[in-house]
Parts: sequence; C-alpha cells; structure tokens
Amino acid sequence: MGRALVPRRLEQPLLLGAAGALLTMVALVPLLALAGEAFAANLAGVARTLGAARTWELFGSSLALAASVTVLALLVGLPLGLLLGRADVSGRNTALWLHAFPLFLPPFLLALGWFHVFGRTGVLGNAGTAAALFSPIGAAIVLALALAPVVTLLVAVALQAVDPSLEEAALIAGGPWRTATRILLPLSRPAVALGALVVFSLVFSELGVPMFLRVGVYPAMVFARLGGVDYAPGEAVALSLPLVAVSTVLLLAERRAAGRRSFAALGLRTREVPALALGRWRGAATGAAWALAVLPLAPVAALAWRAGTGFRELPRWLGASPVNSLVSTLAAATFTLLVAVPVGHAAARGLRGGAGLDALAVLAFLTPASVLGAGLIGAWNRPATEAVYASLAVVAVALAARYAAIGLRTAAVVFAQSPPHLEEAAAVSGAGFLRRLGRILIPIHARGLGAAWLLTALFCLRDLEAAVLIYPAGSEPLTVRIFTLEANGPPAVVAALACSQVALSAGVLALGALALLRRRA
Amino acid sequence: MRRWRAAGGAALAATLLGLLAGGGCRSKAREVVVYASIDQVFAEPILKEYERRSGVKVRAVFDTEETKSTGVLNRIVAEAKSPQADVFWSGDPVRPFLLVRKGLVQPYRSPAAAPVPAAYRAQDGSWTGGAARARLLLVNRKLVPASEMPRSVRDLANPRWKGEIAIANPVFGTTTMHVAALATAWGDEELFAFLRALKDNGVRVASSNGEVKRLVATGEVAFGLADTDDAAEAVKDGAPIEVVYPDQDGLGTLVMPTAVVLLTGPHAEEGRKLVDYLLSPEAEGRLVAEAAHHPLRPDVPAAPGVKRVGEFRAMAVEYAKVAEAMERLQPRLREWAGL
Repeated sequence: MGRALVPRRLEQPLLLGAAGALLTMVALVPLLALAGEAFAANLAGVARTLGAARTWELFGSSLALAASVTVLALLVGLPLGLLLGRADVSGRNTALWLHAFPLFLPPFLLALGWFHVFGRTGVLGNAGTAAALFSPIGAAIVLALALAPVVTLLVAVALQAVDPSLEEAALIAGGPWRTATRILLPLSRPAVALGALVVFSLVFSELGVPMFLRVGVYPAMVFARLGGVDYAPGEAVALSLPLVAVSTVLLLAERRAAGRRSFAALGLRTREVPALALGRWRGAATGAAWALAVLPLAPVAALAWRAGTGFRELPRWLGASPVNSLVSTLAAATFTLLVAVPVGHAAARGLRGGAGLDALAVLAFLTPASVLGAGLIGAWNRPATEAVYASLAVVAVALAARYAAIGLRTAAVVFAQSPPHLEEAAAVSGAGFLRRLGRILIPIHARGLGAAWLLTALFCLRDLEAAVLIYPAGSEPLTVRIFTLEANGPPAVVAALACSQVALSAGVLALGALALLRRRA
Repeated sequence: MRRWRAAGGAALAATLLGLLAGGGCRSKAREVVVYASIDQVFAEPILKEYERRSGVKVRAVFDTEETKSTGVLNRIVAEAKSPQADVFWSGDPVRPFLLVRKGLVQPYRSPAAAPVPAAYRAQDGSWTGGAARARLLLVNRKLVPASEMPRSVRDLANPRWKGEIAIANPVFGTTTMHVAALATAWGDEELFAFLRALKDNGVRVASSNGEVKRLVATGEVAFGLADTDDAAEAVKDGAPIEVVYPDQDGLGTLVMPTAVVLLTGPHAEEGRKLVDYLLSPEAEGRLVAEAAHHPLRPDVPAAPGVKRVGEFRAMAVEYAKVAEAMERLQPRLREWAGL
C-alpha cells in the first residue's frame, strides 16, 4: 500500500479549508472587492450615509417588520407544526405539503396574488381591504403567511423526531395539552430558533414585497444607491455594514436558544411515531389546521384565476427562461452541497473554522442582494473570468453565495443527528476523514443531505433579487422574466407566467421528494 | 446506489454544459448584446424580428419597471472595465448623457437617422431619438367628473384630491427625468416646494409608472402621472381612464423620445447594424402602433387616438441640462422619498 498523498490527520482541515476558500470566493470576495473600490473613492459619502437619521429610521422599520413577521410566523407555525407534525389531525401529511408549497414561490408573486384578492377590484376587495393591504400591517401579514411554513415545517419535522417514550410518560402524568406544552414544544426549541432566524433573515433582506406594497424598508434604501441615477456603490456597501451586527446578534441569539441540542432527524428515522390523540378536539383541530394550512395558497389560486386565457399565450412569452432557472439552480444547489458537507460537519462537531464559515454564509444571506450583485459584477466581469460572467454560471455563483446558508445549516443539522462516537470508532480503526466521510457519514446521511440539496435548490429557484442584477444577456431566469414583464405585460400573461413558476417549483419539489422517499423505501 | 451515482453524474454534466451554453467565452458567432429600458413587452418582439431577418443572435437585458432606465444604465457603468453591451436602447434621451460623460459611448451617425428632427438627436451621433412618449395625467372618469378634470401637473397638489393622487417614485424611471425637467423650468427650490406640497396632499408614491396606471385604473386613486404607453395600455384594457396632456396652456407637456446609443461593447459592427434597424421607420412604426408612442419621423404615421409630436404643446427642454439636473437632484429626491 503506497503512502497517502495527504497525511490522514490533515484531510479534514484541508477539505474544510478548500470548502472555506470556495465559500469565501463566491460570498466574501465580491463584497470586499466592491467595498475596497467604493470606500477608496468616497469616504465622505460613506460617513454622511451612516450618519443620516433617515438611515437609522429605515433600519428600525426593517427590524420592526422582520420582528413582527417572525412573531406572526411563529404564532401560525408553532401550533400548526404541532398539529400537523404530531397530532392525529386527518390528512395531516397532505395539509403539510400544501402548506409548505408557497414557501418555494417568489414572495412578490404571492403579494401580486393577494392584490388580486384584496386590491380594490380584487375578488374580495374594497377600499378598506386595499388600504390595509398597502400598509406595513398588510406587508407583515403577506410576508408572515408566505414564510410561516418555514416554522411549521421545522417544528413538524423536529417533533416527529422526539422519542415517543418521553411522550408516553407525559401522557400518563397529564393530558395531551400538558404533553404538548410541557414536553413537545420545549423539545422543539432549537427548531423554533432556527425557524425564527431564517424568517427574520428572509424578511430583513426582502425588497420585492415591501416595494410592491409601498412600505419603506432598509434594503430599498440600499437599492436606491445602486438603482438610481447617481450610482453609488460605496454608500450601498456602507449601508450594508450594520448588517454585520445584525447577523452576529441573530446567530448568537439562535445559538443561545438552540443550546447544544440539534433539532431534527429530517426524516432519517424510519420508525413510525404514534400520533398524539386529540380526542373530542380532533374535529375542530382538523378544521383549524386545514384552514391555516391552505390559507397561504389563496394568492396562488387568485393568480390561476387571473391567468385565464393567458395560458394560450405562454409559448410566445416563456422562451428558455424555465431552462435557465433550472440549470442555474441545479448548479448552485450542487455547488452549495459540496461546500456544505465539510463546513456543515465542522459546524455540527464544533470544529475550528466551522462557526466562522457558518457566520459568513449567514452574513451573505442577510446582505441585500443588490449589493451582492454589484460586487459580483466587480469581481467576475474581467477578461480572465469572461466564461463565467457571460454565462449562466454567474447566476449560479450569485445563487450559491446568497443561499449557501440554507444548505450549510441543513447539512449541519443532519450531521448533528449521528453521535460522534461512530466517527471516533472509525478513526481509532485508522480511517482518515475522507474515508469516514465516504463510508460512514455520507451513506448514513444521504437522505438528509439530499434534503439539504433540495431545500437549497427550491430557494434558488424562487430567487429574483440575486439574479436580476447580473443575469447574462438573453438568458434570464423565469422569475426575472415575470418581474420585467410584470408592470406592462398583459396581466393574464403575467399571471400565466407566474403559474408556470408555480408548476416549475412544484415539479422540482415533487421529483425531489419522490427521490428522497424512494431512498427510504 | 450505482444507479443514483450515474444519474447524479449525468445531471451534473448536463448542468455544467447548460451553464456555459448560455454564453461561455465571448462568442465568435454573429451576435449583438443590447441593454434595453424600453418595456420588454414592446421591445422584445422588435428585437426578435431583427434576429429573424438578419440571422444575428440578439441577446438582451431588460430593465425592471421599478428601475426603468437606471437599472441597465448602472449595469453598463458597473461593467465599464469590460463592457458587455453593444447597444443601449433607452426609454429617454437624458440617461445616455451620463454614459457619454463616462466615455462609454461610441458616437455613430446612423444613415437611418436623417429624417429624425434635429431637436431629437445629438449632432455628434452620441444618441439618436426614436418614437417618443409624453408625461400624461391618467384620470379615473368614475372618480373625477368632467367639470373637475385636472389640466396641469400642479393639480396633483390641489387639496381637493388629497390622498387620491399618485406618482411613481422620482428616484427611479421617467419620473426622475420629469422632475429634473421641471427643475430646469421652475428652479430647484420651486420644484421641491411642489414635491413637499404633493407629500402634504397625501400623494401615493408607487413603485413604477405601471403601478400608477394600475392604481388609477382600479380606482385606488383619482389620477396620477404616467407615460403615454401606460395610458394606451389602460385604455386598451378598457379601464375608465381619461388621458390629459397637461399644461397645454402653459409650460407644455414633457416629451421623451426613446434614444438609441452605440456603446463600446465587443460587437461594434453588429451593434451599428442594430442601431440602424432600431432607427428605421419599421421599428419606430411598431413602437407607434403597438406601444402608442408618438412618431418623430415624418414617414411614420401616428396610431389612431395618438397625437404626433408637434400636434400638442411640448415643453421646451434642453436634454443636456435635464441630465445635469437629474444628477444634481438625486440626493434631495432620495431624501424626499425617504430613501
């Protein structure tokens, strides 16, 4: 047997280093490139921007919107996750899938759908509903309904992983209510913390819905520096600096809330967990759970209703945009998974470098996409990297930078499911990290890692903000096409294009879920 | 497991091929790259027709309605180190001045530009005007009786319509040009006094002109400012909308010709040919017929119900001065818009 090319003890740090370098290249280099260039040009502008009262006023508004949406999403997602995850609600799996689906659609499409419901001439609209929709409260509710499925899903999956013996013991001591509030909900705390982090981050960086509903938010201020006449990337970068503080606080809060526990088995456990019997409350709970579960689908139904004859025009307007969406999404999700395996493992095991790279991914997730886009242009639009910049590869890079946190976090949770002693035993037997990864970790976590890939892919597929600034000429993804046609295209065609996006997301979700379920069988 | 690996490998290979197929290395095939701030719904069919006739692949980037004219403009600026776009098809003639100042324009006197009136093209060929839009008042007939029809942009500040009026965000799009043109006519301070009065009057600041059209058409507001094409679409959709050419007995209505600009992109020869086509009577005729633009060329007939430039009182503007005002006003406009 020849000598190994790399000493075994260095395999893990080298692999983590390589993954970290890739993550840095896609997520950090663009920001640093833009920052260096812009700060050198305009320090006075940067100071003025950060010193303006309006900057902090909008920052506060965005924090308030993100906090309100997070609270509302928890209010919907927690009980619903409990009911659909563990209780004997009729048809709970179907309800859970239906409820989760709008999460994988661009939020601005859902806002457009709500406009067709509650706008002044909407299906259920009048002056009062329109005024409520176009307000901070309306924006908070639209976003909360769009993102509550994050909490519902995480709580439901976490509760399915709770050891049934704990529940049985609690049921002997008290009823279902006591079991739910004293045992199940406290055990789902890490899932709730992660759900809150994801919802807060998504709302804080959301631009499309607040702009559509005319609510002033911080990302719009950043966007105004890049979309206005006096292109001012330096000020945009300066405005991104407070986000470093926000992401640090969020990470600390989430880690404090989650403690050392990991939250979910992501369906890794094949045993059947008996449902919590609701007794005489079952009928009412089923009705309430189904009503809450399908509510986020209302705007999708409104879009389908509005599309009507628009479907006939689709071949003329769709072009290659669905293929562009799929290709860039598949590449970004695959790249993210390659990075997420070593980084997620390091984060789950508390290894050096894991937490830092995790924080970098969360920072990129929170950074306004317009800043990331401008940075990517600066970093990749060079003769040497022309092949990337002039192709869909640049969209894949943008998506990977923006959504790495999703894949990485999921991978970390997946790895945390298996006790470290499996790896320790293999290491004692002489297996290096690559061997442990290939023979133990990836095989036993294949399904969980598949879920990490799928989740990342679905978030990439719904993206608008990262792609819209840098898509190569003539190769726009479907979300971009809908957005550029939205204001002036025939409304029925725009609604039909939106329905195509719904079908695309549904198709990827269905194929992914099928593949994951087949692996379990 | 093996089957999964094979499927995964095939998917990865297909993805990589697909990634680079979208562009890859700078293509040697005949192609031209155009960045357009003309509405995609109108511009794309014209570009496709050119592609069909010439056999040259046209790769386009379109603006979103929210950043109309500035999104792709800023992308051209951001890409200055390695220019990608050969042609900028602008919704107005002012933004090209910003590119001229940054040295990103190749002046080109297209032979197709000869019939365009001199007021609507640069003498050095840095930009050439095409079919124009005007800034109009869209009025909901159900909410505004004929006797109270607004006649001037200043009516937006009339307390009679408090909370019932809309404009698009002046930080972006053609509204930026409009307020800059008003500043050249009134002076900066009078402009901002007017904008403050609008705010006091509860103006709804929409994300785009298209959104203003939607607000007026659905009766969310009584009237608002938008462009000729927005007005035409609303009328075509059967919305109860009256179109008013504002200030016909005073300052005049602002006219914004589209502008075709040759940039410093990699396909100069194909870029020139596309510029020639976009300035042809055929391309202008399609914008006039399908997007209800006002024709500039005498050899292009006006669409039914749409006036020719010259048939209504146009505001007297120097586009170069408007461009200067637009840059100068931007920080104050952002402050006004709360951004």
